[in-house]
Amino acid sequence: MSLMSPIAPPVCRLTVAQGDSIASGDPDVIFTTVLGSCVAVCLHDGRAGIGGMNHFLLAEPAPIANEEVRLLNRYGVHSMELLINAMLKRGAMRRNLKARIYGGATMRQGLGEIGTTNIQFARRFLINESIAILGENVGGTSARRIEFRPAAGLSRCKTVSSQPVEDTIKISPASGGDVELF
Amino acid sequence: MSRRILTVDDSPSMRMLLRAALTEQGFTVFEAEDGVDALEKFEAATPDLVITDINMPRMDGFGLIEALRSGDIQAGLPILVLTTEASDEKKARARSAGATGWIVKPFDREKLGAAIRRVLH
Repeated sequence: MSLMSPIAPPVCRLTVAQGDSIASGDPDVIFTTVLGSCVAVCLHDGRAGIGGMNHFLLAEPAPIANEEVRLLNRYGVHSMELLINAMLKRGAMRRNLKARIYGGATMRQGLGEIGTTNIQFARRFLINESIAILGENVGGTSARRIEFRPAAGLSRCKTVSSQPVEDTIKISPASGGDVELF
Repeated sequence: MSRRILTVDDSPSMRMLLRAALTEQGFTVFEAEDGVDALEKFEAATPDLVITDINMPRMDGFGLIEALRSGDIQAGLPILVLTTEASDEKKARARSAGATGWIVKPFDREKLGAAIRRVLH
């Protein structure tokens, strides 16, 4: 009789690039990303065992003077909506969502406000949507590597010395806004 | 007279953005958080136009369009879908349910305003 140890399934690491919003309930999946001024929000529904992560950089100036909506960047709202929808489609419930916020560092001169703006947006959005913020690791001057296990809702944040390649200033995705009248 | 728009979206942030964009362009805005809420508020709001998301709890955008189109009085009401969805299948479903137009998020304030003015005239 041979003794065989159970073979653990291979872990699948998925990189969450700038502009991505992805969700999964697979226990063998790990989402990873590297953030500079960008922000990533990790959402988790502990009851459904579904987690999701996005990664955004909001470089668009706020065009609306109204203080109430000043921080609500439309691309940020869009990124968060894509993330929430991806989770709901996999069985998560909006009322069970909990969040962690990462990133928003000041990486170099001239980008000072952008990291802060991204952090403020994420906080503001989550408060608006009544999504509890369990924790955050934001600001500072160092890039961060984030690992998130979506099914378990476990995340790990580590500062790294390298400059994230995606953290170049570019205006958020130009897609969307297309109108088709029937 | 200011035209009345009922916005239907389960995200308070999206409703806030829409309210800001539409009031800035002179529209009077009423808000509902899903299809059921929209039907409940419809009489009080008496909108000239409805802007609805698709993915919402309780009653989604398709259900709302069908419910609004099932009443004779709403036959001519413009209904614009504002959604993250871009699939042709869902667009065709909205069209056959009676939607007037399809707008993909993130919305552009000027394009949205122009589409509204076009369908209101």
